[in-house]
Order: sequence, then structure tokens, then C-alpha cells
Amino acid sequence: MECFEHAKSNMLRALLRRVALSLLTLVMLATFVFLATEVLPGDALDVTLSADEMSAMPPQRLAAMKTELGLDRPVAVRLGEFLWGLAHFDLGRTLISKVAVSQIIAYPMRNSLLLAATTLLFALPLAVFLGVCAAYAHRRSTDKWVSTLSLIGYSVPEFVTGTFLVMWLAVSWAWFPATITADTRATAMTLLQASPLVVLTLLIGSIAYLTRLLRVGMVDALSSDFVERLRLTGIPEWRIVWRHALPAAAIPTLSAMALYAAALVSGIVVVELVFSYPGVGQELVRAISKREVHVIQAIAITSAAIVVAMNFLADIAILALDPRTRQP
Amino acid sequence: MSRFFRHLLRNPLSGVGIALVGLHLVVALAAPWLIPHDPYQLKDLPFAPPDTTYLLGTDEIGRDFLSRVLIGGRSCLLVALVSGALAALGGGLLGLFAAYRGGLWDEVISRVVEMKIAIPSILFVSLFVTGFGQSVVVLVLVIMLIKMMGVIRTARAQGLVLMSQGFIIAAKLRGESASRIIVREMLPNILDLLGVEFALRTSSALLLVSTLSFLGLGLSPPTPDWGLMVHDGLQSIRSQPWLILVPAGCITSLVVGINFATEGVVDAFGMEYARGVAGH
Repeated sequence: MECFEHAKSNMLRALLRRVALSLLTLVMLATFVFLATEVLPGDALDVTLSADEMSAMPPQRLAAMKTELGLDRPVAVRLGEFLWGLAHFDLGRTLISKVAVSQIIAYPMRNSLLLAATTLLFALPLAVFLGVCAAYAHRRSTDKWVSTLSLIGYSVPEFVTGTFLVMWLAVSWAWFPATITADTRATAMTLLQASPLVVLTLLIGSIAYLTRLLRVGMVDALSSDFVERLRLTGIPEWRIVWRHALPAAAIPTLSAMALYAAALVSGIVVVELVFSYPGVGQELVRAISKREVHVIQAIAITSAAIVVAMNFLADIAILALDPRTRQP
Repeated sequence: MSRFFRHLLRNPLSGVGIALVGLHLVVALAAPWLIPHDPYQLKDLPFAPPDTTYLLGTDEIGRDFLSRVLIGGRSCLLVALVSGALAALGGGLLGLFAAYRGGLWDEVISRVVEMKIAIPSILFVSLFVTGFGQSVVVLVLVIMLIKMMGVIRTARAQGLVLMSQGFIIAAKLRGESASRIIVREMLPNILDLLGVEFALRTSSALLLVSTLSFLGLGLSPPTPDWGLMVHDGLQSIRSQPWLILVPAGCITSLVVGINFATEGVVDAFGMEYARGVAGH
């Protein structure tokens, strides 16, 4: 009983450490985004105005605008205000048109999250299945096929996969629409019905990536001593694979979760542009062309926060699966 | 060494990979002599079909497409190679430094790496492109920063293993400086690792550069670039599909080639390390 209590307090301490680290990462992230866009290249107005607009504007007027926008205050004050706003989920307003940034990115964000969730829903079970099959057939033909195909799937850029699918399934066969005409505020169902090719493109890259990770973990797990010992005790093979080896193999995959989640967001941005899907990718490119620096900041911070959150969940799963990580 | 080559050649895929990379490098180097026409000059009507003068026809404004494809790998290869090399070297040194110093330095470096990994590459580039404008120098530096983070992690882990070994302890006792120990004692021991990192980072840098060009955030027109060509080809996807297929095939075969070749080399070295665990 005492031992159990001890384990519980270890778990709690490890959990709190992860929470603190995630929060620290978020603060560093926001600071970095602020420095990269509003301090190093000048201030927000310098970034928003193009070089032509800058030179056309009389210096007094520029100075007056900066005072009005509060950009003449010291960097530390502006950074503090920025972080304080974020802590209250306030993403600020656009510099010129004064629209709330949260209002601009809310629907695109929802639409992109829909893509991410659908992709994960299909990719995870398929990748687990393929990874386990490949590892079980280690260095035999199933393994070679899965490894080779997944290396190819992982090497092809998403914009190429997406474009090929459009050419093949939408242009040559006309099975699917080539671009999506659904509105930004369309219901989730309408959007998903319009975008089978978008999800398919994302799935190819995701399955390839996750399968490779899982296969490596599974090969190691299956050749480890503890699996050998389980085999000697006569536990059925399927039970060893799914009940004992898979949880151990999931750990390296879970620790690469941040990398995968970040790659998925990048993939979504690209694929949205190939298919004109109304999500953050479209919004990002629009904001870059309009030089709306606060929208770009908000998209970067929100996406990164989602990645941090996914990594946090993966860390907790590792804590639950692997008792060694609970040691202080 | 001969065992290494035998092992390498026994795996047909690594042979295919090395051949693809070799072919791409030769074409990229020899492109100025291979191109039949000036890739920047308007030659004929837009979207002219392939004929004997223009083997792949002309592009959307009438430039010779074959010449543009042949020369289109140079800029993205150069950006990827330079940023891949800088990332491998810089990341290697920083990772070893973190392992050597430990304590606060290690903690700070690890936190920064973790923070950077949370920002998706395309958004990371967008932030810098917004702030500093679009130029090749900005592109190389930003991609180097992105690709460096994974190298720091690997080099740090390897550095921690080295730290407990006799020759490092001996060097410390001799009173050698930190920079000397890191560069002279530790770095040579992770060169094979950094070589693999260089290959992996270059291939993922290539993916990133071509994707950025496709999005209009990377190399800018009129530079011939495969990513840009795929983007420009979308408008004629029905009538001239080869304007997309050829550059898309080029970029894909190059990245697949590097990854096959790297995997073959890693296997032949017997390095269990990094099988497929390279970040995008």
C-alpha cells in the first residue's frame, strides 16, 4: 500500500513537471513569435506597410500613427501586453481594419482541425496495423514491401501527391471534384463530403510516417528479452504482440508526436491550397499577401499550441505505459 | 570497406537511390551545357505542344519547358545542400556543447529545441518571410534553423554517451579547453552520424524548399524551380498535364533517391540509428 502511494506521488510529480514544461514552452513560443515579427524586422507597422507605402508617407504622419497604435513604447512593455492578451485568449485586432483576429481565424481553424481529426482517425489504426505486420515479418517480403512503400510515401511532397490525385481521380476519371467550393462556414458534414481527396492526400503521408515509426519500435520490442520470456511461458502469440509488445512499441512513436503533429499542420496548409479548402492554410497565404502580421502570428501561435497540447497528451500516455519514466 | 560496398549493393533499393542521386547531381552540374534553349527567354506561343525544336513544348508564357526542367533543380538543390550542411555542422556543435556543459546550458538548449519543434515548418518560414522579406539568404538561414533542431537532439544524445568515456575524461584532466575538447575530441567521433544527418536533412530540406516554392513562399519567379513549375502547371492541368508531371517527377525522384541511398548506407554501416525517424 505504501509502495502504491509512493508510485502515485511519483506519477503526480512527473505530471506536474510536464504541465510546467508545456506552459514554459508556450510562453517561449509566444515570445519568439513576437520577436521574429515585431522586434527584429522593426515593429508591426513596418511589417504591415510595404516599402512603397513607407517611402510615400511623410515621417510625421508615420510617427503619429505609431504613437496612436502604441508602437513607440519600449519592446518589453509591448511584449508584456502581447503575452497578457494571449493569457486571456485575446489574439488582438488587425492593425489597419481593426477586426478581431480570433473572429478571422475561428472558422478556418475549425475547418483545418476537422481535417486533422479525420486524418488521425483513419491514419492511426491503419499505421498500427501495417507497422505491426511489417515488424512481425521482419526482413521478409511483407516487411520489405511495407518499408519501401512507406519510404516512398514519406518522400513524396504533399503538393505532388495532391496534384497527382487531382489529375488521376478528378480530371481523368471525374470521380471527385478537383477543387472545393464549400463555404468557410459550411457545416462539418458538408465540408467532409466535399473533401475525400484532401483527406486521402493527408492520409498517404501520415500513414507512411507513422508506420515507419511504429515498425521500428515494434521490431525492437519483438526482439527484446521480455517478449522472449513471455513466449517461453506459453502465452498465445497474438496476445504477446497486441497486449505486450505493442504498448512498448508505442513509446518511441508517441515521443515523436510533436514532430508528427507539426508535420501534419504543415501538410494541411499545403493540401488546403492545392484543393482550395477553406482552412488556415488559405487564410495564412491571404494574410501573408495582405501583410496582416497579427493574423499570421495568431495562426502560428494557435497551431503551435495545438502541437504542444498533442505532445503533452503523448507524454502522459508514455507516463502511463512506461513505469521507468515515472522515476523522479 | 569492400564488405561495406558489398552490403550496400546487395540491397537493390540503395543502388537505385544512389543512381538517382548521381543522375540528378550530374544533370544539375551540367545543366548550363545541356539546355537546348535559354530558359528565361520567350521562344514561342504559350502552351505550344511538344515538337522537334521544343521537345517538351513551351510553358504558360512561351519559354522552352525542357530547358527550364533541366535547370530547375539547381536552385532548390543548392539551397537544400547549403542549409543541410550548415544544419548538420551547427546542430552537431550545439548538441555536443549542450552535452559537454550540461546544467543550465543544456536545459536552455533543450527547451529552445522543443519550442521550435512545436512550430510547424511552413508557419515558421511564414513568420520570417513576413518580417524579413523573401530572399535566398533568408530562405537558407530559416531552413537551416528548422533542420538544425533534430540534429541538436541526436548529437546531444551521442555527446552524453561520449562524456562518460575515458578519452574525454583524460582530455578534461589534461586541462584542455571546452572548445578544443568539443571540436577535436568529440566531433570526430560523431562524423558518421552527422553524415547521415546531413543526407536526411538535405532530403527533407528539398521537400520543404519545393513546397515553399509551390506555395509562393520560397524561390521566386522567374527562377526556374520544380515546385514553382508544378504550381504554374495547375492552370493547364487538363490540356498540358506534362507541365505538372515532369517537374513533379523530378522533385519526387530526387527526394526518394536520397532517402533510399541514405537508408542503404545506414543499413550497410549497421547503424540501427534513425531508421525512418527523420523529421519533415
